[in-house]
Amino acid sequence: MGHLQKTLHTVIVPTASRYSWDELFQARELLYAFVLRSWKVRYKQTVIGAAWAIIQPVALMVVFSVFFGLLMRVPSGDLPYPVFVYCGLLVWQFFAKALADTSNSVVSNSAIVTKIYFPRLLLPVSAAVAALPELLFSFVALAGLMLYYQIVPGWEMLLVPLFVAVALVVAFGVGAMLGAVYVLYRDIAQLLPFLTQLWMFMTPIIYPASLVPEAFRWLYQLNPMVLVVEGARWAFAGSPPPNQTTVILGLAMSVVFLYIGIRIFQNLEPYFSETI
Amino acid sequence: MNSQENALPRDGGTGMPDVAVRVSGVSKIYSLGQQNVQRRFTDVLAGILLPRFLRADRDRRSAEAALDRENWIYALNGIDLKIMRGEVVGIIGPNGAGKSTLLKILTRITPPTAGRIDIHGRVGALLEVGSGFHPELTGRENVLLNGMMIGMTRATVRERMDEIVSFAQVEKFIDTPVKWYSSGMFMRLAFSVAAHLDAEIMLVDEVLAVGDIGFQQKCLQRIRQIASDGRTVLFVSHNMDSIRRFCDWVAVIQDGAVTWSGDVESCIRYYEEVCRDQYDEEGPAEL
Repeated sequence: MGHLQKTLHTVIVPTASRYSWDELFQARELLYAFVLRSWKVRYKQTVIGAAWAIIQPVALMVVFSVFFGLLMRVPSGDLPYPVFVYCGLLVWQFFAKALADTSNSVVSNSAIVTKIYFPRLLLPVSAAVAALPELLFSFVALAGLMLYYQIVPGWEMLLVPLFVAVALVVAFGVGAMLGAVYVLYRDIAQLLPFLTQLWMFMTPIIYPASLVPEAFRWLYQLNPMVLVVEGARWAFAGSPPPNQTTVILGLAMSVVFLYIGIRIFQNLEPYFSETI
Repeated sequence: MNSQENALPRDGGTGMPDVAVRVSGVSKIYSLGQQNVQRRFTDVLAGILLPRFLRADRDRRSAEAALDRENWIYALNGIDLKIMRGEVVGIIGPNGAGKSTLLKILTRITPPTAGRIDIHGRVGALLEVGSGFHPELTGRENVLLNGMMIGMTRATVRERMDEIVSFAQVEKFIDTPVKWYSSGMFMRLAFSVAAHLDAEIMLVDEVLAVGDIGFQQKCLQRIRQIASDGRTVLFVSHNMDSIRRFCDWVAVIQDGAVTWSGDVESCIRYYEEVCRDQYDEEGPAEL
């Protein structure tokens, strides 16, 4: 410690303080630590481990294909129903996982929150990021499915990360908001599974968005997951791309969710350790 | 007796007279009752989510409630401290005097209600250890993750891994999940990680000297080492021998305020008197 360097100056005052640059820089390491921890812990004491990430969406795909595709004959455009529904399920499952983990991130780390200081926003950020590997695993089953139906993906495939990013932003925004509120209101634990289920039915996963009456379409498109699912389906399997309104409203709403989420989280953050 | 003047700054012979920590008029008020904790939280939410005309009424009620002094508990009441770089300062005081609250505010775990603190340098804490440990992870994994959580870089932890492990004397078990550790092994490893943090300003609570006599001695030795290599140290302890051994000067905290500060011996005498008085008043009858 002998060499001269500019010493860090920290000011502690009653109002919510903003993160300093130094802290954010240091936070990269911490982000890595949190993400690494949740990966390492996730499949401890399981027999089939990461295979769960494939089994869950595949099982849902089979059930949905039988009931909605085969029996109810839900239209799926030019795509075979299993491919249609799996493209949607894939990104949806990722979104739902990221949303659940992000919403839980503060309360489930209460031992750390009450003992160690760090920019608390790292908790939802790392929870959202840590959900990504499972998405990669579920691509494996999609590849098999597309091989079976002989669907060749086009250049649009390169845009998949873009739609995943939108899903990540929405999951993080909503999750940060719910996660902060969860610190005081444990109702969130009850609300979350229910909300996720409702949201799933308001997203064109088991049915195409074209079934929604024209008059309500704009309302429907306010759900940014419409953009994500339609986009992913287009990028993977070449179904019609999401239209302009879907893209604009979807992107706008994801920015809104992100903004509100961060704002609520940062304003409540100073009270976490006392309230939790 | 309520002498709240700043302690005499002594630079501990380091020749660096700069201020490391300046605490000015810091208070922490807790409002009694669950409702108050909830109100503050919901006020913030309402402030973001509700338009002004809808929350005018609740804002007024909250302001009234906040002014209801009957419910106030002063955990800290106007603390002033000036600690120069390189000084080792002892903080002593009876249980519930506010020592832990002060440390929690200095580590930014909880915000003060009033006042301001200026800290020049990186703060490391040796207060409560092991809270970031995950039972399913091995000792090595926990050292890496916990080290990063308390402020070390990945490279630093890797570099000190062997040192940390051998200090904790858990070499044989370092690749075993910590849920299978004995509580002694767990505490030793947890202490060891925190004790190898290299911050310019260290907050140390001596309660942490854990384990059997042998390891306690090691912990104290480590604390002494931290105290003697020119770092600024805030040392909280109930052990007057350690205070005498490590500290340049002492601040006595009582009922949330610094009631005496300065020379080590005079502070210890004062503190012992305070404690004696306290037990004379209410002591034997209750024991």
